[in-house]
Amino acid sequence: MQPLVDFWNAYRSTLTFALVNSFFALSTYAVLSVGILSFATVTFAAFGGFLGVRLVLQTGIDPLLALPAAAAAGALLSYVIALIFLRLESHWMALASLALILITRVLIINVPGTGGVNGLSVPVTLPFFMFALVLLVAIIIFWRLSASWYGIAARAVREDAAVASTLGIAPRRIQTVAFVISGAVGGLGGMLLALALQYLSPDTYFVNIAFTMIAAVVLGGSYHWAGAIIGAAVFTALPVIAQAIIPEFQDVANGVVLLLIMIFLPRGLIDPRAIRLHFAARKAVAQAPRDATSPAAGGAP
Amino acid sequence: MTSSPAAASSPLLEIDSVDKHFGGVAAVSDLTMSVEVGSVAGLMGPNGAGKTTLINLISGLLPSDSGAIRFAGVDIQRSQAHVIAAQGIARTYQNVRLFSGMTVLEQVMAGCYIRRGTSLWASFLGLPKSRTAYKAMERHALELLERVHLGHRAHLLAETLSYGEQRRVEIARALGTNPRLLLLDEPTAGMNVQESSEIGNLVHSLRDGGLTVLMVEHNVRLLKDFCDYVTVMNFGRLLAQGSPSECIAHPDVQAAYFGKSADAERIRARR
Repeated sequence: MQPLVDFWNAYRSTLTFALVNSFFALSTYAVLSVGILSFATVTFAAFGGFLGVRLVLQTGIDPLLALPAAAAAGALLSYVIALIFLRLESHWMALASLALILITRVLIINVPGTGGVNGLSVPVTLPFFMFALVLLVAIIIFWRLSASWYGIAARAVREDAAVASTLGIAPRRIQTVAFVISGAVGGLGGMLLALALQYLSPDTYFVNIAFTMIAAVVLGGSYHWAGAIIGAAVFTALPVIAQAIIPEFQDVANGVVLLLIMIFLPRGLIDPRAIRLHFAARKAVAQAPRDATSPAAGGAP
Repeated sequence: MTSSPAAASSPLLEIDSVDKHFGGVAAVSDLTMSVEVGSVAGLMGPNGAGKTTLINLISGLLPSDSGAIRFAGVDIQRSQAHVIAAQGIARTYQNVRLFSGMTVLEQVMAGCYIRRGTSLWASFLGLPKSRTAYKAMERHALELLERVHLGHRAHLLAETLSYGEQRRVEIARALGTNPRLLLLDEPTAGMNVQESSEIGNLVHSLRDGGLTVLMVEHNVRLLKDFCDYVTVMNFGRLLAQGSPSECIAHPDVQAAYFGKSADAERIRARR
């Protein structure tokens, strides 16, 4: 029992941050799943985080009640951003969202109520299981999305937006929905990060989150929501584990793992297509003896 | 050439002196043609004649520079592609464009999205009514796959199928939108004689079911056997219009396909 307790004490904060980072990864995945590379998650997180914290500081409400507010704030902002950004071509969109992060930082420093350069201390937090519970809710939402008509439309838009449009799927509308989902989850993540850190500064929500999350989604796989969560967990845990085992390796651990993944598993750890192909291949092998006796089948894949 | 016999009703698709330029190149220029309700119309012409561009203009993937395109009397020239699809025009692609990573059934379901008969919210929440509608649509998608003889392939990844099968998946996906006009861009490219005839028979059975078809086709036998009338394009312009055998025998068409020195000069001048 004691080793388990030790492990818990040593890694509880790492686990918490892995949960929080899952929200940022899911937010990034939400837009990637309709074919958009956007770093705007950071801005949604900042908006949701600061707004939620101010709400708690101002009114003294339970931080749990501030979570929906943070999600709503993120969703609202992302809708406005989507209206502007969806006019841009893919790579310009990515660059514009990076510019948005820089603007966000300047705004945080200058807008009253954010604590400016001195930062803002957050006097409240949530127990670990609440972080896990909120993530569970997010997972259910992403599962339902992928299993619904939205999931079919999103995959079609991601693979070929022009073809999707000739099937009557409005790519802009689907991408706007994706942005709003990304904003809500990002805003939620921003608030949870504030509650985990219990301190906010202009550097809390900055490009490092964006890069880590893109990396997490690339590693986990951007074709399934589970990829985002696994990627976030790996990228949160890896530096900590590396520090415990080989301290010199800590700073490059994420970079090395990312390179390895991109070279050997370009579609990420969770790849529904590869899994399907694998099962199809196994089925084909199982059926091979039967097919051999009836060559009339012809044109086997 | 002769225009189609004066129809009692107005044509389903009217293309009225449409122009499309890419820089200095006229991909389609001053083209006028129409497709009658319930017919199988052929569109032929040598490579680079502007056939695919025309299909792209009709389906809304490209905006035309000038002229008018009317579908069932409604001007669709400035409409977005998804609006045009909703009005009842579906298409396939010359170079098969299926969605990567989706099974055959999912491809067709993507085609059925437009008439899912339930809101995205209801579908997200998994309401019983929405689930029933989804199941019904899935059965319908399977029926469409049976129609193109791919029912047994429904749960395979589409990219593992043969080329000819992928073309048929595309047709089933287009039919998923329940179109009034189906645009087929070289549906038999890369198919053998038997497969081509199957496509021809499928097109006929679709027409008998009330669908109007406009198909880009090079296969002379298929045009003769399956098209009611043919439009021939060359260098973006209308070259001939009429019955398949008339068009194929037309000296200008022969010249365009088999070449004359004058044509060679014109091609060189355009480069």
